[in-house]
Amino acid sequence: MAQVEKLAADLPLLPAAMVGAEALARARRWHILVFLAPALLVYTVIMILPLIDTLRLALFRRVDGVPMFVGLDNFNILFFDPRWSGHFWSALGNNLYFFAFHMLLQNPIGVALAALLSVPRLRGQAFYRTVFFLPTMLSFVIVGFSWKVILSPLWGVAPTLLGAIGLKSWFHPWLGQEATALTTLALISVWQYVGIPMMLIYAALLGIPAEVTEAAELDGVTGLAQFWKIKLPLILPTIGICSILTFVGNFNAFDLIYTVQGALAGPNFSTDILGTFLFRTFFGNQLQLGDPNMGAAIATMMFLIILLGVSLYLFGIQRRMRRYQF
Amino acid sequence: MGSLSLRSIRKSFGPVDVLNGVDLEVRDGEFVVFVGPSGCGKSTLLRIIAGLDEQTSGDVRIDGRLMNNVSPAKRGIAMVFQSYALYPHLSVARNMGLALQQEGVAAAEITRRVERTAGLLHLEPLLARRPAELSGGQRQRVAIGRAIVREPSLFLFDEPLSNLDASLRVGTRIELARLHRQLGATMVYVTHDQIEAMTLADKIVVLNGGVVQQVGRPLELYRSPANLFVAGFIGSPMMNFIRGEHAARLGADTIGVRPEHLQVDADGPWSGIISHAEHLGPDTMLYIDDAQLGLLTVRTLGDCASQVGDRVTLSPRADRVYRFDREGRSIG
Repeated sequence: MAQVEKLAADLPLLPAAMVGAEALARARRWHILVFLAPALLVYTVIMILPLIDTLRLALFRRVDGVPMFVGLDNFNILFFDPRWSGHFWSALGNNLYFFAFHMLLQNPIGVALAALLSVPRLRGQAFYRTVFFLPTMLSFVIVGFSWKVILSPLWGVAPTLLGAIGLKSWFHPWLGQEATALTTLALISVWQYVGIPMMLIYAALLGIPAEVTEAAELDGVTGLAQFWKIKLPLILPTIGICSILTFVGNFNAFDLIYTVQGALAGPNFSTDILGTFLFRTFFGNQLQLGDPNMGAAIATMMFLIILLGVSLYLFGIQRRMRRYQF
Repeated sequence: MGSLSLRSIRKSFGPVDVLNGVDLEVRDGEFVVFVGPSGCGKSTLLRIIAGLDEQTSGDVRIDGRLMNNVSPAKRGIAMVFQSYALYPHLSVARNMGLALQQEGVAAAEITRRVERTAGLLHLEPLLARRPAELSGGQRQRVAIGRAIVREPSLFLFDEPLSNLDASLRVGTRIELARLHRQLGATMVYVTHDQIEAMTLADKIVVLNGGVVQQVGRPLELYRSPANLFVAGFIGSPMMNFIRGEHAARLGADTIGVRPEHLQVDADGPWSGIISHAEHLGPDTMLYIDDAQLGLLTVRTLGDCASQVGDRVTLSPRADRVYRFDREGRSIG
């Protein structure tokens, strides 16, 4: 009994001690916030707030200069009003084509170039690496303008060069024809950005230990078989990263098309993608008046498409993919 | 099946000569260990035998067939690498079967051979796992299994135990010796660890500076080293070398006595002060300092009553004093 009383007398001390410990822990946690604050603040101000405001803007409409809440009506117009939906679906379709083209051409070429660059005893390795990567470092304005000039039927070098080898009849004003303009732009973009997957995959290939490829040599797995059976599976995670970078890049693309074809993404909107569509809608172009609310609705759609794509990749593919430790 | 013959192998990387004319005959079924300090060219020699590096000049013959310019896979060899070099994306079974698959062996036969090898190395429960899910010792066994499955005439091992911890190393060493007896295949093994060399080898090749110093059975090298380098390299702790007056008295430039052949003896010819003692249990290492003799290591059995600071007298076993001439060659 005396013991119990003694315990009771001791008890009030315990919470006091715990409060002390908690206070200490809280004091200790403060520095985490302090260190996070600058990055969080900057990111919030220039990324998160504009994003939230864009989403908010998409839910309003200006009627006689006064903002009015309309719910999801802007999206309803975007998808179903014939004046808008035609442009929207065509831009989305073009964007998907643009992306598919990059996936089928840019990344395989990047892998192939990286594989060639990593061939041991290749002469002039540094030279080729620099040459392939050079266009990536150029401004899109320079790239767009150069190609526009090269492919021009009036003063371009392309018809002259084709003429020099007797293929003048093959020349067409590729950028000026509805059927070929988007493909031509996609090819220019592939040419410009092939350096990025090449460099990433080149680094991944160099990361494969020499002993593993030597073991493959001894096992008789050489040349192309070695690439398909040993190296490719080991660089798959990097190819995944390249794909997601391509996806985000393509669905945010705007600059090259704006430089080459202008905001109208001609001829006859055949190269119109979501980026150019957004630009025209938001800021207005020629006779079209700017409509920030409809623009925000398009921007929201772009955000959601990219979010969906990245989520599918992260939760569907990335999780199943193994990163290998050597 | 499985003899190896090297004829004046030379290898230079630019101006650096790594191997300066190596000749070697390995008979069928022999376990040969290349041993030497790092940079002595032993790994390069192994890679030349494997065909991973090309010799600057000289001939490699396996089973009498000239192997210069033959690709590694066609030499009838298998190699175990220091880092194991397993294919990280393939299961243990596929790691072991890849070479057979590449040769076009039927699937049923591959399965049979992989399973038999797995049985030999106790790998059956691991066949479906990937290398990342294995411990270091298990990876090592898979690497050995991958070599065995191919039934090569010649096995090459490049420091296969150096990534294992000490206790595992002893176990794997015994396992390798057992495998060699069981398979009867020729094995060439590179190590810098002379204990591995002494315990595994039928024949040791001591290399230094790209030159073969001596070839012989382990105890041959221990008992009659050809020169100062081999005398110092084989045996642990290292042989004591004494120069000057004591050596001249025996008609040599340098004399060598192994620590186990020195005795603390009341009326020995040499004396010195104990500067340090290491008590290992079964034996005690005494480090004895003397102005003339230099620092000597003495291995005494059991515990030793002498203390640091004591002066002791030593006597070498007369028949175990090695004499070397000015060039470091062994005299008679």
